[in-house]
Amino acid sequence: MEFQYDVVLNSMPQLMKGVKLTLEITFYGLIGGTLLGILTGLLQVYKVPVLNWVAFTYVAFIRGTPIVVQAMFVYFALPLAMGIRMSALNAAIMVLSVNAGAYIAEIVRGAVLSINKGLVDAGMALGLSRMQVVLFVVGPLAFRRMIPPLGNQYIISLKDTSLFIVIGVGELTRQGQEIMASTFRALEVWTSVAILYMVMTTSLALALRLLERRMKIL
Amino acid sequence: MSMVECRTLGKNFGKVVVLQEIDLTIEQGEVVVVIGPSGSGKSTLLRCINVLEKITSGDLLVDGKSVKDSKTDVRLIRLEAGMVFQQFNLFPQMTALENVAFGPRKVRGLSRAEARDLAAELLRKVGLEDRATHYPSELSGGQQQRVAIARALAVKPKLMLFDEPTSALDPELKGEVLAVMRTLAEEGMTMVIVSHEMNFALNVGTRLLFMDEGRIIHDGKPKELYENPPSDRLRDFLRHIQ
Repeated sequence: MEFQYDVVLNSMPQLMKGVKLTLEITFYGLIGGTLLGILTGLLQVYKVPVLNWVAFTYVAFIRGTPIVVQAMFVYFALPLAMGIRMSALNAAIMVLSVNAGAYIAEIVRGAVLSINKGLVDAGMALGLSRMQVVLFVVGPLAFRRMIPPLGNQYIISLKDTSLFIVIGVGELTRQGQEIMASTFRALEVWTSVAILYMVMTTSLALALRLLERRMKIL
Repeated sequence: MSMVECRTLGKNFGKVVVLQEIDLTIEQGEVVVVIGPSGSGKSTLLRCINVLEKITSGDLLVDGKSVKDSKTDVRLIRLEAGMVFQQFNLFPQMTALENVAFGPRKVRGLSRAEARDLAAELLRKVGLEDRATHYPSELSGGQQQRVAIARALAVKPKLMLFDEPTSALDPELKGEVLAVMRTLAEEGMTMVIVSHEMNFALNVGTRLLFMDEGRIIHDGKPKELYENPPSDRLRDFLRHIQ
């Protein structure tokens, strides 16, 4: 079978629509996931009464179930159970946030726990409040240590958007599937889709490397 | 008013008794050196004075404020009692100058420029004005500890606590740190120092405490205790640290 470049060329506009949607879900999903992860991670590190158990349960549930099931649950089961209805795109963004948040919570927890307790003592001994110690001493140091595992999670989350094909969001994989259905050119379509994912994940990885270099890991 | 007043202070970690029946009054201007075997509660005593540890029983007053009084803001006590640690504990993401300027800016409310000036002056005092822009990882242990002393002084404490300040240093680096501490003592700073540097205790200390198993066993003038140890326990201990 011959590789037909014109198939690639002709499907590019539709694939780029998919890329755009994939990036959109990833962008908003990761902003939400990062904020959620920092919050739930800190609730557990500082053992905030009651809330740390809520955070623990959340992480356990999300890590314990596949993301495809989570997506189906939010998009198909929630409307039946609680009458909560949302667009497929919003459901995708929400599921990605909640999913990434659980893993990022563990990254935050690990990073904060790895910071030398002596630095906390030193900050407290200066008369800083606990909040100031977290904000100015532990936070900046933990953030530097979070960058590599955070990058890992960001790349995983970007690729996980392909699973939202099950709720019919027109992201990149879904677009590939549709072009396949009409052209039957599996080789050209999936090669193009794979390369487009490669470009996105590699750019993300490079951006994080630059950030890491600028912050110099301590 | 005394700087520090311990009234039958006790401290447990779970079931382990770390400090018991500590009665101790430290007046302004005293330079108290605390010696004793490891696990005798010396460091814990310092950490209690700075409220880094909660006391279990008795009472502890720092500059007249009780650590147990719910109306006392423990941050005010920590502000009055500067602390220097065995492992320096400088903030690694900040330069020497930033380490020193950080406290005054955040807790004393100085402006950026005022804090910088104060920090520069303190670095000069500890002889490190030419290291201001270096990060802790670029400094020797002795230099790091001198920055740590400047950092503690920057919030203008009334009392300085030193927790084995030279134990992590090579012999030739101990001297520069001890010299800074001696200057402080000569300026009239009230100091409590956990250290086994007997020469420093004899020449600079005004008072020597010997602790063992969570109690203060002896409390007196450094020379008298050193030359005529009142117990075999202290005599043995002094022989071991020589």
